[in-house]
Parts: sequence; structure tokens; C-alpha cells
Amino acid sequence: MSDFRSLKFLDRFRGIFIKIGIDYDVMRKILEFKLTMDQRRVPTILSDSKKRDEGNQFIKSLGLYALYGLMLIPLIVFGKQYMFQMSIVFGITMFILMTSMVSDFSSVLLDVRDKNILNTKPVGKKTIHAAKLLHIIIYMFMLTGAFVAVPVGVGLFTQGMYFTLLFLANLLLISLFIVVLTAICYLAILRFFDGETLKDAINYIQIALSVGILVGYQLLARSFTFIDFQFSYAVEWWHALIPPFWFGSTFELVLNGNYTANVAGMSLLALAVPVMAIMIYYRLIPMFEQSLQKLQSEAGKSRKSTGLDGLWARLLCRKREERVFFRFSSLMMKREREFKFKVYPSLGFSIIFPFIFLLNEMWVRSFEEVGQGGMYYYIYFTNLMIPTVVHMVTFSGKYKGSWIYRAAPIKDLGMVYSAAYKAFLARLYLPVFVFVSILFIWIFSSRIIPDLLAVLLSGIAMVLITHKLLNAGHLPFSKPIDYIQEGKTAIITLLLLLSGFFVLVHFLVRTMEYGLYIYLALLIIAIPIAWRVMFSGKKQAIREAGTSWNAPVKN
Amino acid sequence: MGESEKRSEKLLSIQDLKMSYGKKEVLKSVNLDVYKGEIIGYIGPNGAGKSTTVKIMLGLLDGYEGKVEIFGRDISDGDVRYKKRIGYVPESADVYDNLTAGEYLIFMGELYGMKRETAGEKAVSLLKEFSMENSFHSRLSSFSKGMKQKVLIISSLLHDPDLLFLDEPLSGLDANSVMIIKEMLATLAAKGKTIFYISHIMDVVERISSRIILLSDGRVVADGSFAELQEQSKEGSLEGIFNQLTGFNDHTHIAERIVSIVSGGPHHE
Repeated sequence: MSDFRSLKFLDRFRGIFIKIGIDYDVMRKILEFKLTMDQRRVPTILSDSKKRDEGNQFIKSLGLYALYGLMLIPLIVFGKQYMFQMSIVFGITMFILMTSMVSDFSSVLLDVRDKNILNTKPVGKKTIHAAKLLHIIIYMFMLTGAFVAVPVGVGLFTQGMYFTLLFLANLLLISLFIVVLTAICYLAILRFFDGETLKDAINYIQIALSVGILVGYQLLARSFTFIDFQFSYAVEWWHALIPPFWFGSTFELVLNGNYTANVAGMSLLALAVPVMAIMIYYRLIPMFEQSLQKLQSEAGKSRKSTGLDGLWARLLCRKREERVFFRFSSLMMKREREFKFKVYPSLGFSIIFPFIFLLNEMWVRSFEEVGQGGMYYYIYFTNLMIPTVVHMVTFSGKYKGSWIYRAAPIKDLGMVYSAAYKAFLARLYLPVFVFVSILFIWIFSSRIIPDLLAVLLSGIAMVLITHKLLNAGHLPFSKPIDYIQEGKTAIITLLLLLSGFFVLVHFLVRTMEYGLYIYLALLIIAIPIAWRVMFSGKKQAIREAGTSWNAPVKN
Repeated sequence: MGESEKRSEKLLSIQDLKMSYGKKEVLKSVNLDVYKGEIIGYIGPNGAGKSTTVKIMLGLLDGYEGKVEIFGRDISDGDVRYKKRIGYVPESADVYDNLTAGEYLIFMGELYGMKRETAGEKAVSLLKEFSMENSFHSRLSSFSKGMKQKVLIISSLLHDPDLLFLDEPLSGLDANSVMIIKEMLATLAAKGKTIFYISHIMDVVERISSRIILLSDGRVVADGSFAELQEQSKEGSLEGIFNQLTGFNDHTHIAERIVSIVSGGPHHE
């Protein structure tokens, strides 16, 4: 159990840990257990345990990150305009790291369960904190490693040794910086808010963070002006506010010998800020832990459910049982922190992505020109969230509560799915879609309304397809949520491609006369039929293993 | 409880029930009949298969062998309507605890076919009786174990079931609440409700059960009123009967050995 390579690597720094007052052996023990637990954390281990191979699902998902990393290669081999190339490289890297940090590791950072288990034992607080931080950092390094492995190799061949060393040093600083930055952001929120409000606030921060990085990336790309492939970079004071520039400027400084004050200053920031951030964070940890208490304690304040759920339930569900589950599902989606952790960033992206691409258009063309063009297809980016979010519906932090599905006299388990997806569509998808649509109609005029309808319908179709491929047999809120992704990435990628297919079909039918209306009519007829067929009761084979009542030998 | 011979209506019948988890045989052959108005104390050592039996009867577990009939129907026929007349308190307090007490109870009531308003009103009144009326709008995640247990008990009663399965229902409850529940069970049984009660607390089982069934190693090894069991085994207390029938008389030695292991051995400090 103790032969984790990451831990063996850590052993070399044993002396440093001891020097700063950490009981290294105990910390190593804690990490060892955490990593072992991660390995066993195959969320659906019981569902088809014979086929499923043991192992860390996170590590398996690294392959995908390696694939993403390939997009850095052109930027690296491009030339010696380091300020430009490397700032973008780091911008992308930070974006990837930060989003995965926010969506996958927030639950580790905000885990309060450790307290009961570890704090009651004779283990120093410092040691526990260090273990927690290192646990995240180990994964962060693995993720960074997977993401940049190939680009770094390419860099070694095309840009040489010094480049590579500098690259690695910067990456090290960046991963630390991201972990600490996230933690400090959370801490700031935790200080100012309380109990439930705080939990909700974190969700919104997730979105704000993800969106902020995306917008920052846009700014970064904008600050270089291409003129006949000669691009000039003028250092402005506000560039110092954009972290990727700091890291990019180190290359300018070291490799291009640019010693201007701006470049040197930003390079200094690249080194100083992450180091300072860690020091500050380390100081703040006790405060952080204190604030985490707030996550557990809860003011017994009253919360009234809004009438909106009831209204939607009556509008969308014909059967009484379905309505009951609609209300239940929308409450769960609204309330469950872990669910929101995973889902809200996707919602944020769904809002932002269409506009990011549109903004790119507007950069080169006028508003009117864009408004008359056909760029409204970008709204399909809103549908990209559907596979991930619909898949998430089967998970819950409180999955054990799902015994009620079986104990209660539910005639038709199909209703349960149907209600959950309707709740998703009405309470999560539709608000986002309507918001984006209104802005799109403002830009493109009301002529695109039929097109928007086609997008909406294809979104509903996507829900059905996702259910078929990913969820069938797993009741909503019945599987344990975990911060480590499940090995379903391949299917999700396939589903993402599928939404590209819908764009293609939409584009093709638009070239035909009345094509769009025929397409709309087909969708309007086909979707209700497919919905009914898919969720008609008796055929619902439930693979509910993994839920509490089936846990073996629990008498 | 001598004249409990008014065995009118058979509510539940299990014949030759077998169940295994993988290779492990949990239930080897369970046979029992339960009649209306009985309070069954279902006892047995850890791992004997008590909760498994209940989970099978509720349809939580598939893949059993044998025949289970509830309200005169074989439950394997896929018709779930029988569950409408059943209330269940699970052994572990697993709930969707991001819901408030009110939301959870209304949801449960609705699942059993109650009207939303009726379920809500009943839930409020019942919470009040457990002096928890102020907790109606609080999330279950903020509740103590005992409070959660009360909510689970209420949710099992909300729809006025005819048959109650209670799996360690008293765990976490304070002494006053325990008294309320015990009294309540007796009253419910007197009104013709049937109660199937799993517990490890022998004095409670001894006092409230009209009939005790002891499960050991996947089989029923004793079945009868407390008086009947006393007579058979010549033991004074249910604890004694339990020890005798499960072939356990070693507790003094084991306890001594445990203490000597704890205090002996190489010291670590």
C-alpha cells in the first residue's frame, strides 16, 4: 500500500517538513490512506463490479488532459516571441488547472469530515493541514504533468534546455499558485458569509472564477495586435494584473535578454506572488478551518419553497407521482451542495461560451454585420453542458437516501427519471437558454426565433440520448458523488460530438426551402414519442447496486 | 399476554426463504407467519440476517429464493401496491438530508399516495408531539441523530400503515422519547396494526413484544411469546435465552482476554 511514487518522491523532502514543525511520518501515513482510498473510490464499484477494473479513475482521466495538452504545441514551436507564446500557453494551462481545481477538488478543500476522524487523534493540526494541502498538490502535479508532458518534450527539442527548465519552473509555481489561490478565494468568502449562504456563495464563486479566467484569457489574446505577422507587444501597466503575463515575461527576460523594467517587474511577480501566496495561506489555515466549521453548523432558519416548482410541476407533469418527483428533483438540484459544485460551473460556461465566440466575430466585424450574419449557431455551445449535467443527476452526496425509491410503492420507476429530467430542463437548462436567447435575439433580431426553437428541441433530444447512453438503469440521486471523475469521459466526448451533429443537421436543413420548419415539426413529433417510450414504466431495469440497501453483508 | 390466541388474519408469510450475498449464505431457511395485531420482536446476533429479511420483504433486495407473501399476495409478482400499507424505519438513518424536515416528510407522504396538504398538516402535528415543531423548516443535515430518527419514525407512520417494519427504531432517542414510542407501539397494536420490530436491546424487546422470533445463522431457532421461551429454556431473562440459544456462554472469558490484550502487550509510549 505504501509504494506510491508520489510519496517516495516526497520522502526526499522529509527534512524540510520536519523543520517547519510537521510530523512527517504521520503526515505520510495520512496521505497514504487518502491515496489508497482514492484508488478504491470507484464510485459505481458495485454496479458491475466484475467488469470494472479497480484503480484510480482520476489517473485514467489524465489521458484526456494529455490530449488537451497537444494544443499547446503550435504555440511552443512558433518562434521566439516568448511574451506572446508563453503567456498564452500559461493562460491556457491556468485555465485548465483552475477549472479542474474548482470542479474536482473543491470538495477535498472543503471537506469537514476529516475533523471527526483526525482531529480526535493525537495528531498536530499543522500536520493535518499539510496532509490536506499535499493531497491536493499531488493530484495537481499529476494533472499538470499529464497536460504538459508532450509540450515540454517538444519544447526540449525545438527550444532547448534552458527553455525547458524555465518552463518547468514556471509550471511548478503555477500549480502551487492555483491551489493556493483557490483556497484563499474560498477563505475570503468563508469569512464574510455564514452557514447556508456561504455554501451557495461558493457555487457562485465557482462560476465567477471559471468565467473570470475565460474572460481574462480573452483579454490576453487581445493585447497582442497582429500586423502582418509582426506583432507588437506594448507593455501596459494593467498587464501586471493578468497572471499569465508574469510567467510569460520570465522567458522574455531570461531567453530574450529583455531587461526593461516592466518585463523584469512582472518576472519578479511570477516568483514572488506564488511564494507569498503559500506563506499567506499557511498563516491563514487556522482561520480557514474555523470558517469551515460554518459549513457544518447551520442556522435553523426557515426556508419556504417557491411556488415556481409547483407551477412547473403542474405544467410539465401529468401524473401525480411524476409531479411529486419533479418537486423532489428540483429541490435536490437547488439544495445539494455537491451537485451544485459539479454542475454550476458548466452552467456558467454555457452562458459565456456563445458570447466569447461572438465577441471574436465582433472584433473583426461591426455589430450590424454580425447581427445580419449566421453566427447564431454559436448558441449550440449552451447545449454542451447537457451530457455532463444530465449524467450528474444520477449522483448525490446523500445517495444512501435512495432506499426510498424501493421502499415506497412506486409503480413506475420511469416516472422518476422523466421527472428528474423535466426538473433539470425547467430549473437549470431553460433559465440559461432563455437568458442567452434574449441576448441573441437582441443581436440577431427576431428572425432567429425558429432557429432558437430548433436549438431548444435538440437540447431536449440530447437529454434523451444522454439518458440512453449514460444513465439508463441508474436512478436519480442514487450514486455516490466523488471528486474524482468517473471513467465516462469517452461517452461524454462522444455526446459532445453529437451536439456538433445537431449543428450540422440544422445547417443542412436551413439550406432547403422550408427545411427548418420540417425539421422543427419532426422534432416536435419525435421528442414526445421518444420520451414516452424511453420512460414507460415496466421496462426500467434498475441497476441500483451501489446504493445502501444492496451493500452486501450489512445486517 | 397469555390470550394472544386471537390469530385472526395472516398478514405475512415466509416460506423457506434463502438469500446469499455472493458465496455468503445469509438466510438458510426462514419460515414464519405473522398475524394481525402482533408485535414481533425479531432478534438475533449480528449478521444473523435480520435486516436482510426485512429488506427482502420490502422489496429492497432481489435474488432471494423461497416465497414471501404479504397481505396474502406473493411480493415477487411485481405489483408494488402492497408497500402502500407498510411503514419502514431503516436501520441506518440514511436520508436526503439537504431537504428540510417538512419537505422530506411531505415527499414521503406523497410517495405513499397522500395529498400534499394532508401530509404537511399531519407532519406538523406529529413533529409537534415530539416537540420539534420549530424544526419543520430546518434541513435534516442540521439535525442530531435522535432528531433524524424521530423524523424517520414519523415518515414511517405518516400514511397510517397496517404493517410496520422497525429496524432499531430507538437508536439515538432520549429516554422520554423511548417511552413515547414504546407506548405508541402498544397502542397501535391494540388498534390492529402489526409491528415487526428488530432490536438488540433485549429488555425493550422482552417488554413490548407479544411474540419473539430469534434468528441465528440464517434460521429461526426460537419462536413464541416471552413466557413460552422462558419455559423452554429455563432462563429468566431474554438476554439469557438469547445467549443460550445462540450457543454463547463465553462472555466472561472473552471480556477478560480483551482487557488483558488492551492493558498488556508492548507499550507504545
